[in-house]
Amino acid sequence: MTTEPLASHSPSSPDDGEVHHHVASARRHVIVLLALLGFTALTVGAYTINLGEWNLVAAVVISTLKAALVVWFFMELKDDVAFNRLVFLGAVIFIGLFMAYTMNDTRHRNRVDAYNGARVDPRSGEFAGGTAAGIVAQGGELGPLPVIAAESDGEAAHE
Amino acid sequence: MTVEAEAEAAIPADPHHIPEGADYITHEHGLKSWLTTVDHKRIGVMYLISILLAFFAGGVFALILRTELLTPGKTIMEADTYNEMFTLHGAIMVFLFIIPSIPAALGNFFLPIMIGAKDVAFPKLNLASLYIYWIGAIFTLIAIVAGHIDTGWTFYTPYSMRGDNSAVWMTIGVFILGFSSILTGLNFIATVHKMRSPGMHWRRLPLFIWGIYATAVIQVLATPVLAITLLLLATEKIVGIGIFDPALGGDPVLFQHFFWFYSHPAVYIMILPGMAIVSEVIACFSRRKVFGYMFIAMSSVALALLGFLVWGHHMFVSGQSEYATMVFSALTFLVAIPSGVKIFNWLATLYQGSISLESPMLYSLAFIALFTIGGLTGLFLGTLSTDIHLHDTYFVVAHFHYVMVGGTVFGFLSGLHYWWPKITGRLYDERWARVAFVLVFIGFNVTFFSQFILGSRGMPRRYYSYLDQFQPLHMTSSGGAYIIGVGFVVMAIMFAKSLKSGAKAGRNPWGSAGYEWPHPHNFAEQPVFTRGPYDYHLATERELFTGTDEEWDAHMAKKGEA
Amino acid sequence: MSTEAHGDSHFLQHHYDTPAQQFNAAKLGMWLFLAQELLFFGGLFVAYGVFRSWYPQAWVVGSHLLDYRMGALNTAVLLLSSFTAVMAVRSAQTGNQKATGNFLLATIALAGVFMVVKYFEYAHKFEVGFLPGSHFAPHGVGLAEIVEAARESGVNGVPYHLRTFFGLYFVMTGVHGLHVLIGMFVMGWMWNRNRKGEFSTRYSTPVEMTALYWHLVDIIWIFLFPLLYLID
Repeated sequence: MTTEPLASHSPSSPDDGEVHHHVASARRHVIVLLALLGFTALTVGAYTINLGEWNLVAAVVISTLKAALVVWFFMELKDDVAFNRLVFLGAVIFIGLFMAYTMNDTRHRNRVDAYNGARVDPRSGEFAGGTAAGIVAQGGELGPLPVIAAESDGEAAHE
Repeated sequence: MTVEAEAEAAIPADPHHIPEGADYITHEHGLKSWLTTVDHKRIGVMYLISILLAFFAGGVFALILRTELLTPGKTIMEADTYNEMFTLHGAIMVFLFIIPSIPAALGNFFLPIMIGAKDVAFPKLNLASLYIYWIGAIFTLIAIVAGHIDTGWTFYTPYSMRGDNSAVWMTIGVFILGFSSILTGLNFIATVHKMRSPGMHWRRLPLFIWGIYATAVIQVLATPVLAITLLLLATEKIVGIGIFDPALGGDPVLFQHFFWFYSHPAVYIMILPGMAIVSEVIACFSRRKVFGYMFIAMSSVALALLGFLVWGHHMFVSGQSEYATMVFSALTFLVAIPSGVKIFNWLATLYQGSISLESPMLYSLAFIALFTIGGLTGLFLGTLSTDIHLHDTYFVVAHFHYVMVGGTVFGFLSGLHYWWPKITGRLYDERWARVAFVLVFIGFNVTFFSQFILGSRGMPRRYYSYLDQFQPLHMTSSGGAYIIGVGFVVMAIMFAKSLKSGAKAGRNPWGSAGYEWPHPHNFAEQPVFTRGPYDYHLATERELFTGTDEEWDAHMAKKGEA
Repeated sequence: MSTEAHGDSHFLQHHYDTPAQQFNAAKLGMWLFLAQELLFFGGLFVAYGVFRSWYPQAWVVGSHLLDYRMGALNTAVLLLSSFTAVMAVRSAQTGNQKATGNFLLATIALAGVFMVVKYFEYAHKFEVGFLPGSHFAPHGVGLAEIVEAARESGVNGVPYHLRTFFGLYFVMTGVHGLHVLIGMFVMGWMWNRNRKGEFSTRYSTPVEMTALYWHLVDIIWIFLFPLLYLID
């Protein structure tokens, strides 16, 4: 029978073995909510004034800030043990890794060798859309271009 | 280690209290007591039975495949049947056997005991994950019975989008099995972090636990990607969302990215637990403190993390960009480093140990040899130029069977033999265990070494027929498969005999200093650990005593007289 | 393990020593579950990234076909529901059983509003043929909307890969919507347990874990909204 606290217990818990919450004030939650709503308005605002390329950047940065607010205050990672923060951060890092390595492929398929990714659509006998060779065959240069039907009068949406 | 606070002490109110004289198997009876149990030991045993059934099914498919390949052209079945057979062999072995094998069966049984916990952190979730596993298995069975699934276990698009809907059943089955794996991993991480007894700090954690822990990290981080992949695949097949279908602007190679983002780390889900068992067994049968404990522990974590960075080496000839290919190839070589660290530390542990060659040790030594071959041939495949030649040949088949069978299955068998007395309370016939080992070991090498030669000479994998020149090697390989089969039959009879009439095992038949041995079942009281799991010089005589309790009493009485 | 610590803690499971240990384990388990949820959605975001980089014009036109006001409304609704969820936790922690129940009900109601808005969005897209992948067949008002969206985006034509955009749109919002439904169900369950007085200042873990899950569902939407609705 030991009274020694378990090594893995949260450092913020005193030794009495009870759960001790950091009960945040309702005021803080209201402020966070207002900030979140404000950021949402800002995102929509940024959308309505055209920033070109920067719209995506602005949207992602603001979203990240909003998510950080939710995680830090609402999910109380602020007062949580370090390992729980690591779990969350780890998951985000692994998504980043997944995306970075996959797009390292998809963004470079036609850069080194345009025909590396050549696949033929068995139905049409042409290079399949969505592949490097398909994009190049449709007259794209280095960057990928979308396939646009010749007409723009609205009739062309059908295949 | 609280030897004095053993079973005699009164146990506080505990719904899973096991009374004196009974054990975890006999203290409750009836099917219902098993199906509703939350005892990690019983859940582990149920997993063990389930995966052994899956192993049997997968093994039968393997023997049928090898029989078909005795001759070029038709031997016993049509080409379509053959395609289904190798798909079922792969899918059953990977998803129903290897992935849950060591963590869910042996890990469930031993993880809480080895860290001095009464159970895993979430016992009900543990039972739920077993049920989820069974549900997944049922869906897989439906796919087998109702369908015609011949995509191989990888379900590559666009081929898997053609044909009937049996691929969907299989996909749903594997999707469900994935959640079983995730929940097990989640449970184990929480258990290792929060349920350790006092004195069980990270530097004393048994290496088995380190391996299971690293595995659990992969299970939690990688398996959800498999889930979303299979969900997208099923949606693609049913609705045609156009993500993987090139005709709709999708990208079939993207499926391979998704699939291998899980399935390469999954290779480490399969091998890390095998390595974990080998670390335990080598220490026990060398009677030595493990050499380089921290290096072995950290190399497990390193393998778990590095395993996420190399998935593209499965896609060198798939149409992936050369640029990505080079990056993935370079990173692949990094994986050899922690693997090598393990091998060398095991060898150093053996050095000047007092080695005894009992069956668990034989399997572990075989693991080291076979995994080394499997690992080094992996480097051939990670090298771009040689991979172009060897890709999709029997060389690949031989490589991963050396790692998965020579590695994981041998590790699993090592652990099964090692812990059999603890799980069942009975000893087995060591002579027949060795006979089975020799048969499986020889059979394995005959089967798969000939496949290395076949592959390097250009025999493609998954082919129904082949050129006449390959027949001698194919026949050799099939002959080896039959030897493995005989070996497993011998082993099964040996274990069955042990269950029926084996001698009663002592608490610690191998005289191990490991925490899981010298007390019945779980610790009756929360222990305070004062030594490491491999500190043979610090273990008491009682802890290392190999006989039964009665024999110990006799031993002490004799000592008293003297 | 100390029997004293068990006391009247009926909520304490036999294999834990203290309420704190049980709580910390539950919380770690929940964060691990959330990590796997993130990776699960992560796969969808990777697919999004790949196709967006390949078919930027389809993405721009596609986003113009979504009503960003509805998206913004839903964002506000979900943020508000996150707030009510956190207030439910706070009430449970301070032992205010009535407020806990009310905040849980408010959260469920807001989640319901989200699903209703989503329903109207889906219904419209089904009506005009903005269906995923091979079923993409805009007609009637849908065609006019495409022309208008293309004009707004400055794209001279109809991107073929609009079908891919809608494929991903339906999968991403569909999987997210499924999570919302599951969250509503779990919160209903929590409401019932709260009604039966199972929670106290010493034990409010299930409410907290449910709220953590709900916040994650909110976070996913925080990213889905601009990435789907606000591309220019």
